[in-house]
Amino acid sequence: MSDESGVREALRRWIAETSGKTSMEQLTDDTPLFRSGILKSVQVSDLIFFIEELTERPVDVEQIKPGVFRDIDTIYRSFFESGHA
Amino acid sequence: MATLAELTTRLCRVSREQAIDPFSRLTWPEDMTRDQWFMSPELISLYDTDAWSGLGESERRILSFFELINFFSINIHGERMLIEGLAKRLYRKNTETISPYLHHFLDEENKHMFYFGRFCNAYAGKVYAEKRFAVERDYAEGEEEFLFFARVMVFEEMVDIYNRRMAKDDRIVPLAREINWLHHFEEARHLAFGRRLVAELFDAWRDRWQPDVCRRVGEELAQYLDATWKEYFNPEVYKDAGIGDAYALRRRVLESAEVGKRKKAICGRSARTLLELGLLGEESIT
Repeated sequence: MSDESGVREALRRWIAETSGKTSMEQLTDDTPLFRSGILKSVQVSDLIFFIEELTERPVDVEQIKPGVFRDIDTIYRSFFESGHA
Repeated sequence: MATLAELTTRLCRVSREQAIDPFSRLTWPEDMTRDQWFMSPELISLYDTDAWSGLGESERRILSFFELINFFSINIHGERMLIEGLAKRLYRKNTETISPYLHHFLDEENKHMFYFGRFCNAYAGKVYAEKRFAVERDYAEGEEEFLFFARVMVFEEMVDIYNRRMAKDDRIVPLAREINWLHHFEEARHLAFGRRLVAELFDAWRDRWQPDVCRRVGEELAQYLDATWKEYFNPEVYKDAGIGDAYALRRRVLESAEVGKRKKAICGRSARTLLELGLLGEESIT
């Protein structure tokens, strides 16, 4: 999937469904995902697999910097914009 | 029942008396054909699912090779986390009782990582990458310490179920069987230590924590148990075994009734331990 709005929409849906603590409507691109408790640390593995599925390339966890999963916007810029991980 | 100090003294003695040198004990064949059973079929992530039915005998055996590489990779990453955490705790305040055993624990875990790593690199040319990533948060006093040892216990109990079954399985290649036996042999001590330490830590902290901290700890351990279970379903394994649509397959089998049944059997022991401590509800193991 390469269309930006489609990727953001897919991330929003996945996060809302996985979390069970928010809805797609409530979730904006800058909603804090972990600080607000929407996602937990242990759910990062599933999120990484979902990102890999969308990007069709593996995520190198050793290269990930803290804060990269802060919100949908940061996830998009870190993993989906060209030239990024 | 022995105190933690008595248990630690006994475990130190047994570790010295029953020490095994894996560097000289294991025999490493030059090469291994992948058309053999490397993992007990019943423990393979796809076992008994629709995807399993669609595989021939040879494809199942090849899948078993990559599943074992994943199992050993999970062990490597889990034990690295454990070694880091144990080393950090050596000779900290209030660890006088357990520090002597932490030396054995560290020594044994390091040796385990050696044989898991050698097997993966010698026969698969790689270790599967870890997909866990810890997001930092604030902890109540004692919470991080308790969670570290409780996670170790959950992780090791699950691994040990696989080890015990494969150590007795004559269908799988001898080296894989031997590694599983060796690991189980030493992990039995680590598990005895871990269960006692987790119980003592929880007793020490539970009344000092606010109810929301107790609830958070229980939730986090339940989620950790679930996340650990899911690591056994690795899309990279399916790709390497030539099975298509790996991510969708992972989601599908994780939601299947067959895998749900297996999860209860394999995660049940960890869940029961957490239930006995009062950290999980009855519904988590039913």
